Amino acid sequence: MASKSAPKKERRPRKDRPCPICSQGIEYIDYKDLALLKQFLNERAKIKARRTSGACAACQAKLSAAVKNAREMALIPYTTR
Amino acid sequence: MRRYEMLLLITDRIDEEAAIAAFDRAKAILAEQGGTLLEDAWWGRRKLGYEIEKRDHGFYGVLDFEATPEAVSELERLMKIADDIVRFKTVRPEVRIRRSA
Repeated sequence: MASKSAPKKERRPRKDRPCPICSQGIEYIDYKDLALLKQFLNERAKIKARRTSGACAACQAKLSAAVKNAREMALIPYTTR
Repeated sequence: MRRYEMLLLITDRIDEEAAIAAFDRAKAILAEQGGTLLEDAWWGRRKLGYEIEKRDHGFYGVLDFEATPEAVSELERLMKIADDIVRFKTVRPEVRIRRSA
């Protein structure tokens, strides 16, 4: 009676990537800085997930607030089709 | 006195001159309220991220100023009334205050 155990998938160890905002030395994320914000939007103008953007928790929170401010002022779209 | 920054979106139903006049009116209100304008920038006509009031372009202007909270709420009240102002947003850029202080 061989017990049927699923073979464990080998996970590649995560590479440590520095937060792209902290490492640039940006302290204040300006919602008017569209060049910066656009790096964190996907082609549908949605905010990239943290696993994609690589931002740390604090930066991601500030970033999403900035993106939402920019959306309110129609600097960037809410979403594109 | 606190440091504020206000971004104004002005309709493009009026021409640029009239839009700048509307922007100057905001500056005049600020001066009346005892605020000091540190910097202002006129971005000109830009494409909007999405349609607002059937318009896909608008004029943008930024005011960087110091004022009392009461002055800001009065300025905001008047901006809400103004017909040419589509949207505005006032923020307090925190870190930059600390730097200039």
